[in-house]
Amino acid sequence: MPPILEARGLTKQYPLGGTTVEALRGVSLAVEEGEFVALMGPSGSGKSTLLQLLGGLDRPTSGEVVLEGEEISRLSDEAATRIRREKTGFVFQFFNLVPLLNVVENIGLPFTIAGADLRNRDVAERIREVVALVDLIGKERHRPDQLSAGEQQRVAVARALVTRPSILFADEPTGNLDYTTGLEILGALWRSCVERRQTIVLITHDAKAAAYADRVFFVQDGRVLEEIPLGRREDHAAAPLISRLAQLGL
Amino acid sequence: MRGLTPFAIRSLLHRRVRTALTIAGVALGVGVLYASLATSAGIDGSIDRTVRDLVGRADLRVAALGEAGLGQATVAAIAGTPGVAIVSPEIQVRTFLQRDPAVPATVPEAAGYRDPVAVLGVDPAAYPSVHAPAIAAGSMLKAGGPAGIVMTERLASETGLGVGSSVTLLGSAASGPVTYPIVGIVAGDGPVPGALGRSILMPLPTVSTIFDVTAATRVDLVAAPAASPAAIADELKTRITGQPYVLSTPADIAASLTASTADFRGLTALIAAIALFIGAFLIFNTLSMTVGERVRDVGLLRAAGTTRRQVNAIVLVQAATIGVVGSVVGLAVGFILDVAIALLVRSIGDVRLDTVVVPPAGLALAVVVGIAVTLVAALEPARRAGLIPPVEALRARVDPAVLRPHVRWLAAILVVVAVAGFIVWPGGIGRVGVLRPILVYAILIAGTFLVPLLLVPLGRVAGLPFRILLPLEERLGRSSLLRDRGRATLTVGALMVGVATVVALVATAADIRAAASAYLTDVLPGDMIVSSIRPAAASEGLADQLGLVRGVARVSPVASFDVALDGVRTDAAAIVGRDFLVDGRLTFVGGDRTAALQAIDSGGAVILPRSVAERLHATVNDRLALLGSAPTPVQLTVAGIVDRSVPGRTGDAVLVGWPDAPALGVAGADYFVVRFAPGARAAAQPALEQAARELALEPRSLEEIEGSVGGALGRVFDLFDALALVAVIVAGLGIVNTLTMSVAERIREIGILRAVGMTRRQVGRMVLVEAGILGMVGAVVGVAVGLVAGVAMTFASVGASAVGLAIPWLQIVLVGVFGLAVAMLAAWQPARIAASVSIVDAVKFD
Repeated sequence: MPPILEARGLTKQYPLGGTTVEALRGVSLAVEEGEFVALMGPSGSGKSTLLQLLGGLDRPTSGEVVLEGEEISRLSDEAATRIRREKTGFVFQFFNLVPLLNVVENIGLPFTIAGADLRNRDVAERIREVVALVDLIGKERHRPDQLSAGEQQRVAVARALVTRPSILFADEPTGNLDYTTGLEILGALWRSCVERRQTIVLITHDAKAAAYADRVFFVQDGRVLEEIPLGRREDHAAAPLISRLAQLGL
Repeated sequence: MRGLTPFAIRSLLHRRVRTALTIAGVALGVGVLYASLATSAGIDGSIDRTVRDLVGRADLRVAALGEAGLGQATVAAIAGTPGVAIVSPEIQVRTFLQRDPAVPATVPEAAGYRDPVAVLGVDPAAYPSVHAPAIAAGSMLKAGGPAGIVMTERLASETGLGVGSSVTLLGSAASGPVTYPIVGIVAGDGPVPGALGRSILMPLPTVSTIFDVTAATRVDLVAAPAASPAAIADELKTRITGQPYVLSTPADIAASLTASTADFRGLTALIAAIALFIGAFLIFNTLSMTVGERVRDVGLLRAAGTTRRQVNAIVLVQAATIGVVGSVVGLAVGFILDVAIALLVRSIGDVRLDTVVVPPAGLALAVVVGIAVTLVAALEPARRAGLIPPVEALRARVDPAVLRPHVRWLAAILVVVAVAGFIVWPGGIGRVGVLRPILVYAILIAGTFLVPLLLVPLGRVAGLPFRILLPLEERLGRSSLLRDRGRATLTVGALMVGVATVVALVATAADIRAAASAYLTDVLPGDMIVSSIRPAAASEGLADQLGLVRGVARVSPVASFDVALDGVRTDAAAIVGRDFLVDGRLTFVGGDRTAALQAIDSGGAVILPRSVAERLHATVNDRLALLGSAPTPVQLTVAGIVDRSVPGRTGDAVLVGWPDAPALGVAGADYFVVRFAPGARAAAQPALEQAARELALEPRSLEEIEGSVGGALGRVFDLFDALALVAVIVAGLGIVNTLTMSVAERIREIGILRAVGMTRRQVGRMVLVEAGILGMVGAVVGVAVGLVAGVAMTFASVGASAVGLAIPWLQIVLVGVFGLAVAMLAAWQPARIAASVSIVDAVKFD
């Protein structure tokens, strides 16, 4: 079975002042369907740039990204928007909710954008499903400013999952949360992967978060330095990953 | 602070377009203010010139009240009054010049013969010492010199005549056309301002002979060096007892001319205040945005030890920079506007607006007020900038509450603009002149404070059309507007004020125009007016001669004169009641139409216009004493009360029948109202015009009179409309700022919307819908408030008009649509910015 997402020789260069910064220097990787993958690396390693290219938010300088057999790195803005709406979901570090909309409206935003009515039975059912998945039952009518930081981030996860995307990208989703709240988010992502076969690409610099993944790619200086297979584990213990990183001197 | 000034300036330069738009807003406000002040100064200068032209160096003017004039005995009594050094009697009559048959009708100069001219009979010995006319060519009339006339420069240019030419004028029926050589040309428009420069001077005895008038129209007198004009005035009151007169000083004449320009000056000043007010909105928005964008920087400055006061100063330096540059640019804009006003309006009543004055005080005042308003508008953003804590520099997101403006801030701006208005308010404006702008200003303020209350319900209604087509964009756009209600209120308020001003002016202008035209066509029983250059006695048979023209069905004589009623000068008219009865003219609100009109034809009765009846508390069958220019009052019974009556000099005339006219001192008809036979007008009108000119009468159709009334009003109101539209455009600049700020604050949110699948087009539409809702609320409230203001303006000046309020709905709807269009257009750039937001940058944005 072909991988659901594939990166081939991705490079990305930014002009900065009079010079050019090479954020990615030829990254290739593949993600299988239903897999939970983590991209780890220090600040400035290029992992966020890699996620933006994989998610079709930005275009590579060279190389290509193939999502479900479709090359997405050279699409028009309209087509890339369609891909984002139909095939991908995003969760960012900061609480990326629309402050004017309540929980259900925020979660249903992709449907609203696509022109669907949130009162439609199928749509409402899907929203109910993800609300339950992220454990927000009873808070459907709350606005973002009435929710805790963790609850807000769970709404963002639910919104990313509600369209049942082919792949979910999460960029440091726990970076702005305390330890316990961070675990709630990782738990929600994990459950979606296990219960719904949701493919997930997680960016993190935290080994405890990366330990939820089946495989970890360690990125440094714009390259994938190491691929660390962890397998699917119920206990999410970080020790194997930490020891492997230590072996590599990372 | 010196070290922080570059930071302040750099912040402004960083957003060049926004800074330029704000400077444009200030410039427009200052420009309109300067134009208002300069026009006012021009009017003052023109009034001085007019008064000089009218009375020269005379200390007092005794003018006849009524047609009988001031007889020889009265002139002698004036001359014999102790302290009087020079007496200059004048007779003023109107006539037509007769074109030299050698001048073909096709040459431009032939047009110069079409309109009447004012003939001023003067004493050649006394007149030059009182008026010192500036002679442009030839010489002044000389006592005992050869017979001749002196013509104004303007009339000479209109007729193509000069010194040495001969001119023929129509005299009385007895003397017929008379020809005189032109001996001199007097500079400019000459001594009769109401004649629009078409006047000629002749020796008093000559005028007396050829026009068969012996009594003087007025007497100007100069006091002896040691004498007091006030004492002379007191003495004159005891000496002149035989004939009614009006005594005035140059100051009285200036005051009356000033009062006649009050409405114009009041409205110009009001629009200047409104433009400044809207400019202040713009400044507030811009500086709030600048502060909003620089929260992190300000936090860093605070963390590095900058005091709150220094932070306040940064914002105030920005405001002062905008204020100074805006005011200087505004002066240039104002100068152009002032020239445009002079060219467009030309004259207000007898006051000509033909010179552009650059008043140094006006220059200084406009700049000071411009900078002051800018600084006051900056106080709130400056205060808020000072409140930014150092910790904001470290936060991931700026707390929007730190920057949220309060509507209460408006109160400060309103007070400052009101104080500025009070300072710059042109002097000499009467009660109505002051009442109108205050009323309108109060209504606009009330409307502005209503906006926050109406924003939610009206926003929902305004969103309806968008909701049908673009539900998502409508939901997000409307919610975004409500997120910062203070700012939305300021923006909608500015637009509302602009739209309301245009609507109020349009409604007022339409009502006045409608009243002016309905006034004539509803009241006068005919199609055409033929006016006489002097009272035409029935014995002269002019009405009969006009009636002989084929196609003329009826000629109805009307005399206009003054009477004293209850001690107050009141317009009066002598009419033929039967003609009004047949034509179904006059709307009776008291008494029976047929009985009343027959009663005045029988004599002993009077019909009062409603305004006079209300003043006198008179009802039908009351007895009134009318004092005309004859020495004894005439007792008449009130036969009826009409809504509007025949127009007099200053208002509706009381109507009497011709049998009572001689006892009131009426010598003859001033004009004839001509009714053509049905279908005969086209053929009969040219013949009637020809016949009228041959009889030294001036023919004018009612349409022409309405046209000239409407045209003059139209020019003034077109100008005000244009100025108010400028205010709407300034408000549009405010919308650009508000939406840009709103987009800037939502960069992250827009990035998220894009990340979850919203297209660029949808994002752009969201901002446009936001502007659409904003514009629609502003336009709807603006139209409503403008209508209230328009109605209030009309009632404050003229009371309920005869025709009811003539609301020009189509124009008003167009103004509303214009407001909406300005808002949508203003959203174009912010929508582009929003649509081009990079998702990658947005999600990084903090």
